[in-house]
Amino acid sequence: MGWLIELIPLPYPDAVVALGAALLGLTAGVVGCLAVLAQRSLVGDALAHAALPGIVLAFLFTGAREPETLLAGAACAGLVGAVLMVGIERGSRLPADAAIGVVLSGFFSLGIVLLTHTAHTEGAEQAGLERYLFGQAAGLLERDLRVMAILGAASLLLVAVAFRPLKAMLFDRGFAVASGLGARWLELASTALLVAAIVIGLRMVGAILMVAMLVAPCAAARQVCDRLGPLLVTAGALGAAVGVTGALLSARSDTPAGPVIVLVASAVVAVAVLAAPGRGVAWEARRRLADRRAERGRSVLLDIETAMHAGAPPTERELALMSGRPARDVRRGVGRLVRDGHALVDDGRIRLTAEGAAMAHAALESRALWSAWLDHGALLGLDGREPDPRDVRGSLGDAAADRLVHLSQGDHP
Amino acid sequence: MSDDLIIILTAGLVATACGLLGPFLVVRRQALMGDAVSHAVLPGIVAVFVLFGTRAPLPVILGAAAFAIVCVLLVDALRRSGLVRGDAAIALVFPALFALGVLGIDRYASSVHLDLDATIYGEIAFAPFRVWELGDMRLARSVVLLGVIAVVNLLLIAVFWKELRVTSFDPMFATTAGVSPAIIARGLLIAVAITAVTAFESVGAILVVTMLIVPAAAAWLLVDRMGPMIAVSLVIGWVSAVAGHLIAIRLDASIAGAMGLVATGCFCVALVFAPRHGLIARALLRGANRRAAATT
Repeated sequence: MGWLIELIPLPYPDAVVALGAALLGLTAGVVGCLAVLAQRSLVGDALAHAALPGIVLAFLFTGAREPETLLAGAACAGLVGAVLMVGIERGSRLPADAAIGVVLSGFFSLGIVLLTHTAHTEGAEQAGLERYLFGQAAGLLERDLRVMAILGAASLLLVAVAFRPLKAMLFDRGFAVASGLGARWLELASTALLVAAIVIGLRMVGAILMVAMLVAPCAAARQVCDRLGPLLVTAGALGAAVGVTGALLSARSDTPAGPVIVLVASAVVAVAVLAAPGRGVAWEARRRLADRRAERGRSVLLDIETAMHAGAPPTERELALMSGRPARDVRRGVGRLVRDGHALVDDGRIRLTAEGAAMAHAALESRALWSAWLDHGALLGLDGREPDPRDVRGSLGDAAADRLVHLSQGDHP
Repeated sequence: MSDDLIIILTAGLVATACGLLGPFLVVRRQALMGDAVSHAVLPGIVAVFVLFGTRAPLPVILGAAAFAIVCVLLVDALRRSGLVRGDAAIALVFPALFALGVLGIDRYASSVHLDLDATIYGEIAFAPFRVWELGDMRLARSVVLLGVIAVVNLLLIAVFWKELRVTSFDPMFATTAGVSPAIIARGLLIAVAITAVTAFESVGAILVVTMLIVPAAAAWLLVDRMGPMIAVSLVIGWVSAVAGHLIAIRLDASIAGAMGLVATGCFCVALVFAPRHGLIARALLRGANRRAAATT
């Protein structure tokens, strides 16, 4: 790993932390998707808490202080927790979240009892057991990086090899079971992957914040990806980017790396949820606004058409009185029509252009067709197919639309 | 009152306050909101300390409650945006708030003794030393605070008993009958938040999380109706309080942890031996079914 660290233009300890954060982000981002898509986001939280008694027990039995041994203990405890979780969910009537909660509190209580018990009897403080709870990236060594890299590479390799079966498991469990994919083994494997990611992350961000590293990259990537392959790649890349950014920020501001990385990840999710193209909250709000404006324009257009049939071209005031719409809405609707060249304002009186009149007729016809569908649609025998209300003719086809017109005019074929 | 009695009473009251709400959370599949809230309040505690320089219980509870409510509302908003699933929403919100709190401690409060352990482990062992003097009476602060919360929760449950049950089990019918499931759900979560905040000011987060989930989950394995379920979870809570304290003294270990372990032990017993939903009962039933199927 030495050459890689030397490549990074940073002081040695910062480079180690940045590289570790990148490894963690990459692995956790990819593996976390498996949990998030299975709607078990908080399994990561329970497993991270379950690692605590494992670490303490590993210390008690071996007296070792080097991270490899302690993390092996964490991994064992995490696996036991995972098996218990699945067992409770399968074997009883408790839902997944209750099973997660019970395992989380049970293991964490055990961990605290063991921790306080050892703290009172032996010098566990020096083993730095608590740093696994809150993370302490500053103490990261090159040796830790090697462990993290091996675990991460193994996890990613497993995901790549088992990509198709995992995909089947996530999206169509019944099919996966029926095709003899060994659903139990796959589930166990994906939980083992989670445990591996958590083991990587315990030193970096600690047990409590670990769940964010698993969930946030996937949640952000999910806003821009609709397929599993791209999702995994994007989540992994996002995770790595978030890790490096957080590590650099924390090195610069002299703050603990774990929380900064998690906050960066949360910020990325917030941006994705707000602004994801075609999906985000802001995007959705803009679309709704545009829809509302278009609908207002169309209604005012029809009001003008109706008024012109009744007599002289109306003024804005008359339009408002006639339609019962607020004057402001009418003004805005007229403004839009004028801008689009569908209407003219001539001495305060509004009239439609030829283009506007054609649009009004089309809109009236479409409206009539929609009410014809509501009245007679059942007679068409479309097997429950529903037309798009905005474009009945287009979505039903000309033949069916013509029949609707006939039906509504009262001549039954 | 002796110290042991105060500790047991404090834990028992925590068990009562949580045991009244926990069953609703568990049947609504929101068991983990307690966990989320208990982590999310850290920035509130830190903010109160940084702004007002105090660790007195009432300001701390108010600051923490503010962030608990922020957490509940954020999770709700994320979930309702439809962009993130409910469980992922929880997993996104609470680590962000917790990270904010840890950074706050690191920045502003690391010189003083506002350590993480105190908010996460809580030290129920200190409960007897925190007293309010009222005339010549000395009242344990935690017992008074938690007593009030337990009574408030009891009143809430009693007043909204019908509404809570109907929205838990048949939200559609509740809507038709004019009870808004969304409002009741939010109210329940806010009650949970305030309970959690008050409780772990004196006993620590892990005991609160445990008492919200584990007794209720065990009770759900044992009984089928809401009333008995609450009763059973209260019993399990009190048993854990008493037995946990005795074990903690014997082992010289964390009291809250030991109480959590006893509760988990009760859960395991329920899981295996519950009369109808336990593992043994289910295995027997499966065997009987198989034999019946073989003979017909």
